Amino acid sequence: MSGHDHPQAIGGKMLDPLMKILLAVFGVSALVMAYRFVTGIGSVSNMTDGFTWGIWEPINVVVFTGIGAGAYGVGLLCYLLNKGQYHGLVRPAVLLGAIAYTLGGSSIMIALGRYWNAVTLPIVPWWNLSSALLEVAVCVMMYVMVLWIEVLPAIFDGAAQSKSPRWSAIGKRWGARMAKAMPYIIALAILLPTMHQSSLGGLYLIAGPKLHPLWHTALLPTLFLVSCLSMGYGAVVVLVNILRLNWNAKQDQALFASMSKVNAGFLLLYVVLRLGDIVLHGKLRFLGADFATFLFVVEMALFIAPAVMFVMPGVQRNRGKLFGAALLAILAGAVYRADTYMTMYRPAGWTADGKSIAAGWDYFPSVGETIVTVGMAAVGMAIFVFISRLFPVVVVDQGKKSTIGRGEVRAASGH
Amino acid sequence: MTISRRDLLKGAVAAGAAVAIPATAEARHEIEPLPDAVGMLFDSTLCVGCRACQSACKVANKLPEDKVEANGGVYDAPNDLNSTTKNVIKAFPAGDTQHYMKQQCMHCVDPSCVSVCMLGALHKEGEGKRDFKGEKKGTGIVLWDKWTCVGCRYCQIGCAFNVPKFEWFEAFPAIVKCELCRHRRDEQKSGPLAVANPACCEVCPREAVVFGYRKDLLAEAKRRVAADPQRYNPHVYGEHDGGGTQVLYLAAAGVQFHDLGLPDLPERSQAEFSESVSHAPYLYGVTPIALYAAMAFVINRNKKKEEAAEHGEEGKR
Ligand code: SF4
Ligand code: SF4
Repeated sequence: MSGHDHPQAIGGKMLDPLMKILLAVFGVSALVMAYRFVTGIGSVSNMTDGFTWGIWEPINVVVFTGIGAGAYGVGLLCYLLNKGQYHGLVRPAVLLGAIAYTLGGSSIMIALGRYWNAVTLPIVPWWNLSSALLEVAVCVMMYVMVLWIEVLPAIFDGAAQSKSPRWSAIGKRWGARMAKAMPYIIALAILLPTMHQSSLGGLYLIAGPKLHPLWHTALLPTLFLVSCLSMGYGAVVVLVNILRLNWNAKQDQALFASMSKVNAGFLLLYVVLRLGDIVLHGKLRFLGADFATFLFVVEMALFIAPAVMFVMPGVQRNRGKLFGAALLAILAGAVYRADTYMTMYRPAGWTADGKSIAAGWDYFPSVGETIVTVGMAAVGMAIFVFISRLFPVVVVDQGKKSTIGRGEVRAASGH
Repeated sequence: MTISRRDLLKGAVAAGAAVAIPATAEARHEIEPLPDAVGMLFDSTLCVGCRACQSACKVANKLPEDKVEANGGVYDAPNDLNSTTKNVIKAFPAGDTQHYMKQQCMHCVDPSCVSVCMLGALHKEGEGKRDFKGEKKGTGIVLWDKWTCVGCRYCQIGCAFNVPKFEWFEAFPAIVKCELCRHRRDEQKSGPLAVANPACCEVCPREAVVFGYRKDLLAEAKRRVAADPQRYNPHVYGEHDGGGTQVLYLAAAGVQFHDLGLPDLPERSQAEFSESVSHAPYLYGVTPIALYAAMAFVINRNKKKEEAAEHGEEGKR
């Protein structure tokens, strides 16, 4: 045994009430999606030629993948900076990332009007390398594969611990092979999000005249990259806290405290970049008594608050407070991303002094659109529960007996 | 177990290498209008709002009516460009008169829609990514290809004129926009008519909109302004706006183009800005490869160190 704690399968009843609710919600959203494929996107959504992406891109893709960036953030610390103590967080973070990105990718397929032509995406000579969206699409597709490959060690590990000798042999053999290849896969798993998370910001460079000047900047790619890390670290803290409450997952508060200090650094870096950009480019004049300024101040507060909390010893020691700060860190990035993609986007653009120009379009998400987004999140949680029950993903605290958990904690067995 | 300042510094350097501050961007070249580009010139001082062009466009492009019910009757009365309308006339009140404006694709010199389109579904004629038969190079007409469009609608985000339209209520939707009636061209003819023949220009009774080579239209616009400076706003919209467009506009003296629904755009095209910023950190693909190699090396070394440590002492923390 090394110093690392070993993850184990949670086991327990698969179709518990939570699972049933999650699947029911997803079922409803699946009906909406089916209806969309028959009647067109307009009949389930409030999207128009003016607000053409509705909430599906901004939330399902841009916010979900931000949350999924926990895998990227933990990978950076654990493998690139060689902070071995973060090992216990790798598997939950990677599984969360794999699921979030898979959902993001599937949401794109639902949002694409002419999804059948997406089969031509692998034809490299047809690639328009100027398109930020192409970069995102290709990169995200590759990264989804890489993330699931990163989940495989947990699966092989589960197989290796199986009672069936055949499964056990397969698990051991492939587990060892994977271990050799891992560094090369992990390097990809760090490179790809670096590229596509910045491209997600780069996507809105072209929207120049349509995006409010306080949001439109050449730093969009950098700000999106930084905000995915702050969201990702926050998401890992939140996730493990939830796992502890439900399954008695091991939660190393000191470890969280030091990871959150890193997060405080990223949150503040974001604030400095954003403010610096606005000051240097003479955009202070857009601050006034209006909605844009209000949103901007809210965003800044959302970034600064968790940063300050993360460095306070009182918060670092207290599970509840650190959890709250981590939630704020996710919210900060989510609000920034949604504002950039939606709230501060106007099809007819903005006047020179930052007033929105009227156009024939208004937008508020429809019930159908919202159900699809909620259903996607629900099925994501269901998949997480499913895999963690069957395979060793979560590190369980051996010191205490699980009381709240659904089903007692036990090691994986392959029956 | 805490993270030292040096570690953070190392991390910051790695992140910085990946996303170099965009200020260092080597700019992607500015795109000049093609010498034989075709386009249109619309003179809003001549348009009387008869909408002959709007109807002719529907016929020429086999577009259904945009039925609007009012006063017990049904009218083909689109109030904007939409998936059944590639060309629309709008009235803008100014002072005690009306000014009529024609809207359709501007066939930009450096189009945002072309810059963003993943597989080149929207492309300048003859410059698409896949092999298009029968397309001439050098016309500058922005065409849409149904075989490579995935319906992502990024073109709608990119286009500052809100031109590309989507069929929201179709199971198999298309992107709809003006293609300058390239399908009506006549190879037997000489000059611009061999390239395209927009129905709107053919029917306009007042020659408020005319078709031709962009360079000729620009000269004609400047000639009109010079001949009657009292009548015109001296600015020819589209000469430089948004990097230049192949459809040019003239407005009456004292009337601003943004009062006629055309956006105020900088001279640098948005595509050039966006591509320069986002390509800069990639250095033609060198950065990702170098970064990958460096990271694989570091991660591998870390793993070996880690393993050695594990064999040495119990519980490295
Ligand atoms: S007006 Fe819009 S659709 Fe037409 S070429 Fe320019 S960017 Fe493309
Ligand atoms: S909707 Fe079609 S034409 Fe428009 S950017 Fe996407 S792929 Fe290109």
